Amino acid sequence: MSDLELDDIQGLVARGYGRLRAARFFALTFGDPAAARSWLAQVSGEVTPASSDPHDSAVHLALSAPGLEALGLPGETLAGFSLEFREGMTTEHRQRVLGDFGRDDPGGWRWGGPDNAVAHALLMLYAPDESALLSLVGRHQERLDTAGIAGAATLGTQDIGDVEPFGFRDGISQPVLDGFGRDGREADTLEPGEFVLGYENEYGLLTDSPTVAEASDPRKLLPRGQKDGTRDLGRNGTYLVVRQLEQDVAGFWKYLDSLATSREERDRLAAKMVGRWPGGAPLVLSPGQDDPALEKANDFAYHESDPHGMACPVASHIRRSNPRDSLDPDPGTDDSVEVNKRHRILRRGRSYGPRMTVEQALAGPDGLERGLHFVCLAGNIARQFEFIQHTWANNPKFAGLYDEVDPITGPRDESGATFSMPDTPVRRRITGIPAFVTVRGGGYFFLPGIRALRYLAAVSEGGGGAG
Amino acid sequence: MARTHQAAITMLIPVRDGAGERLEQALTNLGADPVAGPVPFGRIDGLHFARMVVIPPTPGLDSPPQLAFLLDCDSPARSRLRRIVALGGDALDPVLECCEGYPEVGKRSQSARYRYLRDHTRSTAAVYVNTIGRTVDQIHREEMLREELECFLDSRSWVGQAPSSVQAALREFAAGRSDLHWALSPAPKPGVFWRLRNKLHLAAGVVAGLVALPFVVLGAIPFAIQLRRLEKSDPAPRVIPDDEHVRALAAIEDLTLQNQFTAYGQLKPGRFRRYLSIVLLIGINFGARHRFNQADLAGVKTIHAARWLFLDDKRRVVFCSNYDGSLENYMDDFIDKVAWGLNAVFSNGREYPRTSWLIKGGAKDELAFKSYIRAHQVPSPVWYSAYPRLTAVNIENNARIRAGLSAQFDEAEAARWLRRF
Repeated sequence: MSDLELDDIQGLVARGYGRLRAARFFALTFGDPAAARSWLAQVSGEVTPASSDPHDSAVHLALSAPGLEALGLPGETLAGFSLEFREGMTTEHRQRVLGDFGRDDPGGWRWGGPDNAVAHALLMLYAPDESALLSLVGRHQERLDTAGIAGAATLGTQDIGDVEPFGFRDGISQPVLDGFGRDGREADTLEPGEFVLGYENEYGLLTDSPTVAEASDPRKLLPRGQKDGTRDLGRNGTYLVVRQLEQDVAGFWKYLDSLATSREERDRLAAKMVGRWPGGAPLVLSPGQDDPALEKANDFAYHESDPHGMACPVASHIRRSNPRDSLDPDPGTDDSVEVNKRHRILRRGRSYGPRMTVEQALAGPDGLERGLHFVCLAGNIARQFEFIQHTWANNPKFAGLYDEVDPITGPRDESGATFSMPDTPVRRRITGIPAFVTVRGGGYFFLPGIRALRYLAAVSEGGGGAG
Repeated sequence: MARTHQAAITMLIPVRDGAGERLEQALTNLGADPVAGPVPFGRIDGLHFARMVVIPPTPGLDSPPQLAFLLDCDSPARSRLRRIVALGGDALDPVLECCEGYPEVGKRSQSARYRYLRDHTRSTAAVYVNTIGRTVDQIHREEMLREELECFLDSRSWVGQAPSSVQAALREFAAGRSDLHWALSPAPKPGVFWRLRNKLHLAAGVVAGLVALPFVVLGAIPFAIQLRRLEKSDPAPRVIPDDEHVRALAAIEDLTLQNQFTAYGQLKPGRFRRYLSIVLLIGINFGARHRFNQADLAGVKTIHAARWLFLDDKRRVVFCSNYDGSLENYMDDFIDKVAWGLNAVFSNGREYPRTSWLIKGGAKDELAFKSYIRAHQVPSPVWYSAYPRLTAVNIENNARIRAGLSAQFDEAEAARWLRRF
């Protein structure tokens, strides 16, 4: 499909910038709306489009619902965004959907919670290395200061290689968007509408998109809307979810070590929980041991080779984050793959904190925080991100289980989580698994098309025209 | 004789003019603790689900709001209702006195309350039960059994043992426990009388179908022409639910692992849609009773119980269900697995996304369908489930664990059975 407007879609949709190893994200709080708009006008000129694959730097900008309101977007246009985006991540009901209670309660968050400064925008800066990043940050910081925009949170990241902080190779399984010029397996190739508004999604439909009245866009910055007399503010944009997830790396490995009698058994337990070996090899393809030849292997399904989870437990992290062909209506068939494809996300997260090896972890905590700034993109937060979180990862009843949340990321109370490893003649079950991950902040944002950013920079307070 | 088939009781009671707010408050009070509160549903043996929900009036139809009081229980149903009245007693009054014709203060004896409720019992157009004949008692016992067996399995290593010997060890364990040895005999089935009646019902249905067949054949072409004409001309406006309404619905969702769903709608004008709805619901009721009665509703395995009611001289339809997981998942199941069935019934209602040939389109218009659902849904302020932490899939698995405990298995069968843990 060549009709994707790659020069308008923000580049983060197309790529995660593996080459740009240094990154920092800023949650921002606007001051004076006019100053915020003129800042937006400046930044929107630098936002990296999907049509370019930069070697030097990338800049992305997403806005929250309060942010759009603060810029002066009228209520009737805001109403065109999805309810979950407008309400934000921390309503009572959404807390239940996301499992944010106890240690994960938004009341205790560092940013994005009800007691924190409102995050109006998320500025994401990428550079090849730390020193290049520093100068990019410096340039942006100056502008922010001038515009009276405060930092609600600075989310620093650290390049620890292709692994996440627990030490597992990460980011292997990603959906591929039809039309972005990359090839992928059929089961991973999605209609672009799953991640970009304005294009057909997996249902062959257009996801709802916010519009403005034609009259309020006299410069015709925005593309035409579906309905006559409207302009499409959402086209080429997508929703962006951020979750700051602190990972207790020492706690994770020490706990597993306490269950195991050997190093091999410890690593095997960890792999069972994740569904891949630390090196990346999936258990379905290599049940016995890690296999460097399979470090990026992703061409597998569950039903044919491992229907009962003897190799890769049903409750494991990767099997429930992306069940592939293993669920109803008819496991092992295209029907199940089709349903699965309606619940995918594009992951764009980055780790923070220094690398801690297993040996270091076993020596005990070093007082340094580490974790993941989880970032994902989705055209429909409820059907994609929230569904994965609630119906799969956090669901104690996933795929016929009784009381087993995601052993790595799932919420649990003091009594801990339960995890079963199917085996012959009968499963082995671990109970009382402590929490290794704590939510520290987060928010729902919208990553607009670049023209939409320009439009927003010119929107006037009270909903008038962009002039 | 064991009587284990379930029964759905539907009570529809007109709400008195101007009493709506008081009723809402009274329902909220009851709903705060449906298990052990003023009306302790948790103490009613054989009660699977209970719900009280107010169906609002539809503009243009001259009918008051109606309180729907719905029970899903093991038979005998009437005795469950009596027990609710006996245990709830005057705690039911704040709700029922907001309804028309409730006895005055001095005349509210237990029997008067019971008579009042009984007199407002209405027929249910179609009833679905996940598995016919599985009682609340059985569900609770079999979950307890599974938990005990799981703990027993945890207590030692089974590595290297033959599946059949693990099965034998589990059987021995249950046999040795006075609180578990019931599990070695099969679960009770619906009584002989009920089964006989059910067979007759099936036979009568088949005969009626055969008798109707020539008429169906003759009528097929005019039916199709009329259907397509209506499908093309019926308005199918995209309804957008009010944010506040959606928030009120979400506020009582996902509190546990099951959810309640109630939605209502007005049929499209004309006799065609009305008769079609009647015939379809007869068909659904028949199918649910004789075909989809074993834990699987055409691919959807998350519904514990559901029912369809006609209101206002069959001008409106109410649909209620008790299901596992989130509404998002429930709606996606509808779209992905049974859109055809939903379309056939719901497309006779106003504002439903446009269908073609009765079963195509409709719910496949994902966001339009989801908006339709939200817009037509009403919150149930009183909702009780006897087993809110068990999914229908869990319950089915538990029943098979129990059945397998005393089964004669070869090694392969025993290995398969052990995978249920």
